Formats: sequence, C-alpha cells, structure tokens
Amino acid sequence: MYQCGGLEHTLSRRSMLGLLGSAPFLLRPLARRKQRQVLMIWLDGGLSQLESFDPKPRTAFGGPFRAIPTSVPGTHISELMPRTAKIMHRLALVRSMSTKDNSHSVGVGRVLRGDPVNRGVDYPYLGSALTRFLPNESDLPPYVWIKPGGGGFIAQHAGILGAKYGALALGDGKPPVLVHRPAGLSAEADRERQSLREAANARFKGRREGAEVDAYDSSFALAERLMARKAVFEENAERKDVERYGAHPLGRHLLRARQLLEAGVQFVKVTSFHWDTHCDHFRMHQDMVPQIDRPFAALIDDLHERGLHENVTVILMSEFGRTPKINARWGRDHWPEAWSLALAGAGIKPGVVAGKTSPDGAWVDESPYDAGHLFHTIFRAVGLDPEKLEYENNGQPLPVLREDMGPMKEVLA
Amino acid sequence: MVALLLLLAQIDASFPGTSRCSDEDFVRRIHLDLAGVIPTAEETLAFLAKPDRPALIEKLLASPAYARRMEEAFTVMLLERRTGEAVPEAKWRDWLAKKFADDVPWEATVRELLAADGRDASPAVKFFVDGRTEPHRLTQDVARIFLGKNLTCAQCHDHPHVKDWSQAEYMGLYAFLGQNKADKGRFMPQPMTKKVEYENVFRPEKKKSTGPSLAGQPELEVPAYAKGQEWEVPPGKDGTPGVPKFRPRERLAADLVAHPQFARTAVNRVWFMLMGRGFVHPIDMDHSKNPPSHPELLDALSRRFTSFKPLVREIVLSAAYQRADALLRPLTPEALARSVAVATSFKPGSQGKFNATSYLAGKKSEPPSTLDDLSDCFAAVFGAPAGEPETSFSVSTTQALYLRNDRLITELAAGMKGDVESLYLRILSRRPTDAERMAAKGVAPASLAWALLASAEFRLNH
Repeated sequence: MYQCGGLEHTLSRRSMLGLLGSAPFLLRPLARRKQRQVLMIWLDGGLSQLESFDPKPRTAFGGPFRAIPTSVPGTHISELMPRTAKIMHRLALVRSMSTKDNSHSVGVGRVLRGDPVNRGVDYPYLGSALTRFLPNESDLPPYVWIKPGGGGFIAQHAGILGAKYGALALGDGKPPVLVHRPAGLSAEADRERQSLREAANARFKGRREGAEVDAYDSSFALAERLMARKAVFEENAERKDVERYGAHPLGRHLLRARQLLEAGVQFVKVTSFHWDTHCDHFRMHQDMVPQIDRPFAALIDDLHERGLHENVTVILMSEFGRTPKINARWGRDHWPEAWSLALAGAGIKPGVVAGKTSPDGAWVDESPYDAGHLFHTIFRAVGLDPEKLEYENNGQPLPVLREDMGPMKEVLA
Repeated sequence: MVALLLLLAQIDASFPGTSRCSDEDFVRRIHLDLAGVIPTAEETLAFLAKPDRPALIEKLLASPAYARRMEEAFTVMLLERRTGEAVPEAKWRDWLAKKFADDVPWEATVRELLAADGRDASPAVKFFVDGRTEPHRLTQDVARIFLGKNLTCAQCHDHPHVKDWSQAEYMGLYAFLGQNKADKGRFMPQPMTKKVEYENVFRPEKKKSTGPSLAGQPELEVPAYAKGQEWEVPPGKDGTPGVPKFRPRERLAADLVAHPQFARTAVNRVWFMLMGRGFVHPIDMDHSKNPPSHPELLDALSRRFTSFKPLVREIVLSAAYQRADALLRPLTPEALARSVAVATSFKPGSQGKFNATSYLAGKKSEPPSTLDDLSDCFAAVFGAPAGEPETSFSVSTTQALYLRNDRLITELAAGMKGDVESLYLRILSRRPTDAERMAAKGVAPASLAWALLASAEFRLNH
C-alpha cells in the first residue's frame, strides 16, 4: 500500500493529461458549459504605482507627471495612461498592495505563488495552480505564456503539481516549434507512418500487458490534436487591430493573447521585461507606460465587445512597486510596501478602488493586501472555492492558499 | 560463489512459476540493462545463433559500457538533472564511472561524496555545490536517496501518516548537514557551537533541540569550545577557508554508510532499476506500514551487499529477471538516445556548441551532431525537471511532438535502408513475425522505420 506517486496512479493521471494538452472528454464537468479563463499581464521589474494607478502630483515624491480624471468620477490616474483612464469603469484598482520582498529573485516567486507558507515544497505559479483546478473545455494547452526571448515548455512553474501543469511558452509570441510537420514530409507519408505506429502498438499490446502502452499512445493522440489546432498559434493580425494595439512587443503580445483567449486557451500570461527603472526613471516610464496603456485599453474594450469579459478575468501587475523617494540617478528603486495593480473582467466588480495609500504615497493607510489576498481574490473571481481545494504532497494534504488570508471583497462582483 | 548460488536460488524461490522470456526478448533486455543501449543487429544475430545467457551477462558486465550505463543511472539518481557548473559535469561523470568500472564498494563512494568539501578538487563535491547548498533541501535529499525515506513533511512536524517518521529524526539528520558554506566550488564545514533548535508548527510554544543524530542511534554531543578555539585550522586572512574541529558532516559520512537502512536502500533501488518495481515501493517510502514485497530476500541481498556488480549479476542471472512477463519499464532518456543512434547508424559529426534548450526552443536550428548532444536533447525532452526524482514513466505531448516533428528523427528514419527484416532487427532487436512481414508489404522503409522508432515496443524495456 502506498500513499501516492505509485506507478498506476501517476500513469493514469499522466496518460489523461500529457504535458501540453488535456483531455476534455475526461475533465469537462457536466454542469458548467462556459469555461473560465484568465489573462495575466506581468510587467517584470516593477511598474511605478506613482506613474500609473496611484499618482501623487505636487507632493514630495510625486514626480513630474500630472494626474488626470477617469471615467469613474473621483478616481484619477497618471496622465501617462490616457486610454486606460477612459475604461476605468471597467476596471477595479487595488492601491494597497503591501508585500514582503524587495528583491526580484525572491519577490517574483513569492508573488506568483501567492505567498505560500513554507512547507518544504515548491508551490505552483498562478497559471499552473488555476489550470490544475479549473474545468477545461478546450483541447489547447491550458497554460500559455507569451514572452520576449525564447519559448519552450517551462515545467518549473508547476512546482509540486508536476511537469504536466507547466507553461507552454511562445517566445516572442511565435508558435511552438514542433507543431509543424518536418519539411519534406508529405501529409500522406505522415499519415502512413502514424497508422504503422498505431498498428505496431496494437500488436505489442496483444503480446504484453501494461498501461504504459496506452499512455504512450495517448500522448501521440494529444500531439495530433494540438497539430490540428496549430493555426491558433500563427500570427494573423488584422491591420486595424495592429493599429489599435500597437506594433511594439506588448501590443503584439496582448493581441496574440486576445486571439488565444478567443480560441479557448485557459490561462494566458503575457510578460514584458525592463520595468526596473533604477536610473532615469521618469524618462523611461514616460516611454514605457504608454506601451501598456494603449494595448491594455484596446484589449479590455475587445473583451467587452465580444462578451468575453463574462468569462475572462484580467490581472495587470508587477512583483512590487517603486520607491517614492527618487534616488540620485533620477531613479526609483524597489518598493513592496505600497503599490497598485488592476483587475477586470469575470468575477470582478468594475469601477471600484480598493485600499488607500498615505498622502505622499509611501505607505498603505487602509486595507493592506499581500499576494495571498490576491490569490484568494482571483480564485473567487474565477468561481473556485479555495477552502474546498487542496494539493497533495506525499500523502499529506496541503492548503492551496494562505489560510490566514482571504479575498479582497471590495473588488469581487 | 556458493553464497552467490544460494542467493540466486533464494531469488528464484521467491518468484515461483515464472516462464522464461525468449532469446530475442533477453538479448534486448540485458543490453539495455547492462550496457544502456539496444544491441546492434549483428550482436542480436550472434546471440540468437549461440544463446548462452550467462556468457553474454559476463561479457557485458566486463565491458566499459557497463560502467557508463551505471554512471548515467546514478548521476540521474544523485544529481536529479540539476545542471550547475561549479564542478564540470564531465569531471563528475569520469569520477563516478571509474567507481563502477572498478566496482568500488558503494559505502566508500558515498562516504567520499558526503564528506566532500572540494579542497582536494574531487568532483564528488558537485553533489552539494551544484544545486543543493540549501540545508533543508540537502537533508531531504540525503534521507530520500540514501535512506529510502521521504521526510519532507517532517521538517515542520511529525509525518501525518507515517508514524515512524518524526520531526526529531529529521532535525537530527539536519543537524549533521546544516553548517556549511558554499563558495567557488567548495562546500566548507562551519563551526557548530550549539544544538539545532526547532518547534512543531502546530505546537510552536514547545521548543526542542537536538544535536546530530541518525535514526535509532545516539545523539552526538556538540562540543563547547571557547571562542576562537573552535577551529582546527583557522580561516586565513587571505580568504583560505578554515577547518573547524567538530565536523558533523564527516561523522555522518561514516555513520550513514554503516546504517542498516543504507544497504537496504541501495539494493531496493537496483532491484527497482532492473525489475520495474522496488521490494519497497514507492522506493522512498520505506517505513513499517509499507513493508517490502519479499522481506527475507531483501534482507538477504542487503546483508551480502557491498558493491553493485555482484548484486546486478545475481539479479540478472535469476529466472525472476529473465521472466517472460517482466514489468514494462521506460528506457532512460540516455538509453533512448543511444538506442536511436545505434538503430539508425547515427554518424556523429564534429563537436559544436549544441545547447538542447535553445534547440528545442527553436532558437538554434542546427540539430545535435554528437552522441552526447543527442543524449542531452533526449534528457531535456524525456527526463524529469531538474531537482525531481526520475522514477516513473511519464509521457507527454512534448515528447510525442518531438518524435513526430523533430527534423533529425525523421531524417535518421529516412536514412535507413534495407528490407523489413533488417529494419526490425536493427530497431526492435528481433525478426518480424509473418503478420508483420505481410503488413509491411509496399510500405516505404522510412515510414516503417519511423513507426518502429516511435513505437511503445521501442520506448519500453520489456
């Protein structure tokens, strides 16, 4: 008798899921017909709250930019985000994020894992955690990560859940490399060799018992389905969309994200790097904030126009904010004490602002929230009850989220 | 020899009624297990012409391929696919392969491994410095790999389901391993001046403490030295590391290999490797509520165990190993790569700057040109993620996409010429059945070759 991790156990799970695909016929719940989806936009390095969602103009640390009114009366954001200001009635802002780490190496992992209590295991990142629990109706890989640089299959995000819950990374938004038939192999020849492989496996199964053969076969079946849907991964942007989102990486990547969500991918993460502006901060943010403002507003509009906001939850965030104090190189450094993020879409109450910072923006005055609160909020927003869920480690049940934290109720619909 | 025969008889007596596998099954199975690669068509035919199983076993055990095969398996077990560069991988591999070539007692190897500090430039220190410097991770890995106990839960409280595994045992082991400093490929012990203090997370009010202590054995006393007296060799002003007088990790190296659980865990792991299932299974859940399938046999093998070659020989000579209905086991990624290379007559090119991650991400289009590169590529596709044990058959869509659509695999299959019989001999190490000959009529050799390379029969050791 063993607790877990036994061969049959592992095999049955793995043969059902595979690394990339999942088997909808096994996972689809009977009751729910519309699957929940998530878009996470990650501005790596640290978006400045003062130059985005929580401006403090004409204060000691406020910097040179103005605050502008938004579509929500009484709520002002930085003038660097004019398009986002127009859709503020579709967003919920949290201005009182207050987290623990001021280094990227620790902060990124802790925030993306929901600030778990140390139980000697690696908790999964948000995308792996949600795709572990959310019913999936699509035959596309559930967790796709659009990022600058290289792509590939990133198993590390899955932590204790095991490699199958890792992320399929599309380097620079490009399709996964191995979904195309090798050059020089005709469709007919490929079909011939697939049927020969299936026949060989059927004969082998006639001679030898073992679930391994079925498991191996199923991975080829899932690969086949992914290849059949490969058009989803091709870039096919219409010119008017490119104009609205922008031709820069964040613009192209958020447009890709919308297309993948439309196609049914469950969790899409879009990463943008270089937000860590220790020097020349104001010029950098003046250049970079509009790069998120434009495609973000376009994307939120599109989700609403297509009715997707009813099942897609959107998160826009970094691992922390930036110091109110401006350093000697005209930079702002890392500031986990008080920072902002934006939420939108399914399960989120639009047009609200949660939390409040001090008049100079340095500290949280009301409702400090950590990454654990954020995870509770997102789980609730997508319709999951974290108290009914658990992970399993070596026979021991582990809580999925921080038990001493709860959701940020004021932003939940 | 008498003892060996007795053990063999005991293995066979423990598995009565087995039927013997065919010579075709045997020649493939034994090559994969002892040489880490399928036989060539010529080797298969030579054996089928003169099927002397003990002679083939001796030949393979004496070949350099045996040492390499064992080194590859134990590198995966010990390093768990961590890739650090503090100690170059090639040096580690040479060091470990020599242990198997010389059939060094396992206890000597592990003693060297656990006591390593890197000052003598022994590659053994790679075990620590490339990815295992965090003392809790190290404690858990040592317990799992060498004692067959997955003590992770016991870091914070007694194991909730396994009564045998207490937090006291965990912290006792941790106390041996907790004080080291990793720096520039060295893992230097640091002075330990007091016991390790800990608390159960569920009852934090109750503080406890322990010195170094191995399960079931007395706790070592932590000596009290006056300040400044704790060093045998004080750290040099020029940065040369000091050596403390009290070095619990060195003590652990000696005590752990003498612990009864040590030999038992090694035997269980090798049994698992060759038979597809441990006596104790899962192999890291060795506790009283999860008893071994054949306790007397496991005890007998453990008592006799010193080094691997005699143990491996006894197991593969047994009728239990040579049974017709052996459990199906996946080929290791390394064995799969080598077997693809042997089956397709892969011609290694010159050593380039191949990087499996870039290649698989589509950033570099030049395919692996050497056997080592091919092996790296298969390890990235078929192996476990870094830091995870590689002990179960894990299938994935990524693997299937790789075999289907990677250009090199298709090209290697397309390069295979010859009739149906030669394709079956080269890839599956057997002759085709009549039905298979019939089914292959009019089929393009490239299609058939690819189908056999991608078949479950090729993927598994059976």
